[in-house]
Amino acid sequence: MPAPILNPGFGEEALMQGKAKKTARYDNSAYLMILPSYLVFVTMVLVPIGWTVYLSFNDYDLKTTAWVGFQNYVNIFRDSIFISSIWHTVYFTLLTLVPTIVLSLLLAVALNKKIKGQGVFRTLFYLPHILSMVAVSLSWGYLYNAQAGIINRLLKTIGLAPVGWLTDPNVAMISVAIMSVWGSLGYNSLLFLAGLQNIPGYLYEAAEIDGATKVQQFFRITIPQLRPTTFYIFIMCCIHSFEVFGQVFILTGGGPSDATTTIAHQVYKNGFEYYKMGYASAEAVVLLIIILTITVINYRYGGNSND
Amino acid sequence: MTKQKRNNVLFFILMCLILVVYLIPVFFQVITAFKADKEISLMGFRWLPEKWTFDAFANAWKMANWPQAFANSVIMTVSVIVVCLSINLLAGYAFARLKFRGSDLLFIILLMGLMIPAQSIIIPQFIIVRSMGLYDTIWGSAICYLSAPMGVFLAKQFYLSFPKELDEAASLDGCSKFGTYIRVYLPLSTTIIATLTITKGTQVWNDFFYPLIMTTSQRNNTLQLCLQLFKGSSTTHFNWLMAAATVTSLPMVILYFSAQKYFVEGLQTTGMKN
Repeated sequence: MPAPILNPGFGEEALMQGKAKKTARYDNSAYLMILPSYLVFVTMVLVPIGWTVYLSFNDYDLKTTAWVGFQNYVNIFRDSIFISSIWHTVYFTLLTLVPTIVLSLLLAVALNKKIKGQGVFRTLFYLPHILSMVAVSLSWGYLYNAQAGIINRLLKTIGLAPVGWLTDPNVAMISVAIMSVWGSLGYNSLLFLAGLQNIPGYLYEAAEIDGATKVQQFFRITIPQLRPTTFYIFIMCCIHSFEVFGQVFILTGGGPSDATTTIAHQVYKNGFEYYKMGYASAEAVVLLIIILTITVINYRYGGNSND
Repeated sequence: MTKQKRNNVLFFILMCLILVVYLIPVFFQVITAFKADKEISLMGFRWLPEKWTFDAFANAWKMANWPQAFANSVIMTVSVIVVCLSINLLAGYAFARLKFRGSDLLFIILLMGLMIPAQSIIIPQFIIVRSMGLYDTIWGSAICYLSAPMGVFLAKQFYLSFPKELDEAASLDGCSKFGTYIRVYLPLSTTIIATLTITKGTQVWNDFFYPLIMTTSQRNNTLQLCLQLFKGSSTTHFNWLMAAATVTSLPMVILYFSAQKYFVEGLQTTGMKN
């Protein structure tokens, strides 16, 4: 920062500002004010991150700790269930990402139209988001149930064969994904809605004068203008998909025959069912690295295209 | 004009249809809760109950200690909200208004916390909670919820929109920075308090992961954990399950409909990143 030039021509105000900037004192009371929040953050998040990394080099079962070096990492990458859990997680992410973004964008555009009961529509579409994962999984578990479930009953009435929504290893992850998209649709579309409302109206007016159709306007104005929102939703969806746990735990328990087990689910199982905590920590570190990589790549890429 | 009008009506009908299809899982959950046991196993399927009955609610009620779980959830959620509000707003104010060395860096580190999945730090958190003697209490979960980078972030964003003249006027009146926060900023914080209460409240109330890890005794179950365990004890009684799911969702739904403005506000400010 260049030193302020004391030019009498600028008058007293400029002088005062320059002086204020130079002598601006730091408020050390700020540290006290952020201390409580930061203390909790450090003890419950930062320290646990380092601790997880440390544990991943040990065998730990809540009683004894033994340094094993990279052995846990060697073991988890030999563990076929863990390897397949990575693929299941990637598969789940691919299954949810595009439908979530496309459907919630369309829903947002629809909710942005001036129609009767607009507020009521918004309220009701957002409703699933406030329901707990447990409650949602219970009701979807019923819908999906092979015998009693309504989906299979409907299929039967139109003469189709029943599907093992949660019992067929090839289908179960798709079922989990459908439920997840359903649950996050209202939330993401409200984010898009906020983005839509920030697009200046004159852009559309100008396009209208130039004779652009609604479809052209959507692709040439709406989509580019929504880029920051889409980007944010994209990152958050990626992250949430990679840490998927609750849906899997309640809906399928990782089954059938481990077909829906995910990284986070493996961490839980190894850590808290088998008490192989060092082993589970190594898996947790893998999860952490994946998520940090996604974040970094996304910000790199997104940062460039936004400027 | 008439074509426009007709299109609008068609669009309205279309939206109603989509909404109905979208909410089928919710409708169906509520409807099933009112069905009698024998209707659940019945092969012939009906949407609506033959006879509306509260039997499923009564049976689900007997199966678990719901009032205890409800009380646990309320105590835990309220305490977390109170502590989070009092520490996050203050930190948000400091980040928004005070100059101090390393403020940017400290803030960015805090934001990175948003990206950390709970499952990747749960093992040390579990060890910490155990060593504090909080294992198998609702406080074990509560302490994990206290770390709230989002709360600090939202509070900072909120206070940034305040005019700087407020601070100058307050400091001319001889207020310290802390005094300014207490006397000037805090009384103007109703919106952010409501928003944070609702976002944090929903998160804590609806979570079952931390209670699952941090508690074992039945008397320390939260509502969501109780619901989750209830699933195991009544697998085929879907009407009981749906009754329990419906009732446990009610508090949140009621809160949502009565304070919907803040739900939406919280959500949209959360989405307004950088």
